[in-house]
Amino acid sequence: MNISDQLLGALSQYGLPVLFGVIAIAAAGVPLPISMMLVAAGSFVELGEMKLWQVILVASAGAVLGDQIGYALGRWGGHRVVERFTRRRDGAARIAQASAFAKRWGAAGIFFTRWLITPLGPWLNLTSGMAGYPWMRFFIWDVLGEVLWVVLYVLLGKFFSDRVQALVEILGNLAWVIVGLIAAVILGWKLLRYLHPADILNERKVTTGN
Amino acid sequence: MNHTGWKKWIAVVAFALVVLATGVFAVRTVRRAMYWRMHRDETIRPWMSIPYVAHSYRVPPPVLYQTLKIPPQLHDRRTLKQIAHAQNRSVEEVISVLQDAIGRERADHPPGAPTTAPVRSP
Repeated sequence: MNISDQLLGALSQYGLPVLFGVIAIAAAGVPLPISMMLVAAGSFVELGEMKLWQVILVASAGAVLGDQIGYALGRWGGHRVVERFTRRRDGAARIAQASAFAKRWGAAGIFFTRWLITPLGPWLNLTSGMAGYPWMRFFIWDVLGEVLWVVLYVLLGKFFSDRVQALVEILGNLAWVIVGLIAAVILGWKLLRYLHPADILNERKVTTGN
Repeated sequence: MNHTGWKKWIAVVAFALVVLATGVFAVRTVRRAMYWRMHRDETIRPWMSIPYVAHSYRVPPPVLYQTLKIPPQLHDRRTLKQIAHAQNRSVEEVISVLQDAIGRERADHPPGAPTTAPVRSP
């Protein structure tokens, strides 16, 4: 029995409380196979063992709660540690930079890491908190993204209710393909800059008018 | 100069690793999807309940209950692992008994024939 088997067994037996607890813990940063739980919950809805609206409500609430824990850790736990750590290394400027980045890309970052690039979700909770991203805005984008994620996966599980195991394996691999593609694009861009620094410099001169 | 060289190599290696890992996951995804298309059946796992196995394999639940010699239950949430534990046998044994029963049921009532009666409580 691996961890997925244990969690799905507990979900089958105890239902919603397990769904809520496991999703909250995972959203706070503990790596657990929760996409699988959502798909299985969708299948149990189809089998008449659970109610659709209850599953969506409970799973979304669990995910949002876990995300708030991650955000709070970053904001009130992590910030102090980072400040102490970086005091002698231009820390204030770094934090200001991260904060500016989070404020600029925060909304899209929060929204897409809830349902599309899910493996990065817990990291973004921490960094949003650390960068002091406004909590209300974090909360709103978080709720929107999490509800979309829950509805998507539960409905997938409901429609492919007879093939939970197979579907979950495909989705698990697909999530990493998406993360890999994004990382490849970012690294590819950096690589181009290293390989052709002269072109980039010229471009800068043109754009800045020097 | 040396510093830039280092950075360049790190970026090249990181890029190659990411592309390699993405490729591996992409191949795995496609292989799983193809396997899914070709094999309609799920692997029976210890987390599954009897209603789920019956639903997944499209056999009437009473057939599976009968083969395990347990009375049918409505809203049965027990997992195969629990059933195996209650019957003092391994979950692998329970899974193999279920697979045999599914095989027999399918041989008796091939898919497509309207023979699988709806579940009725006695």
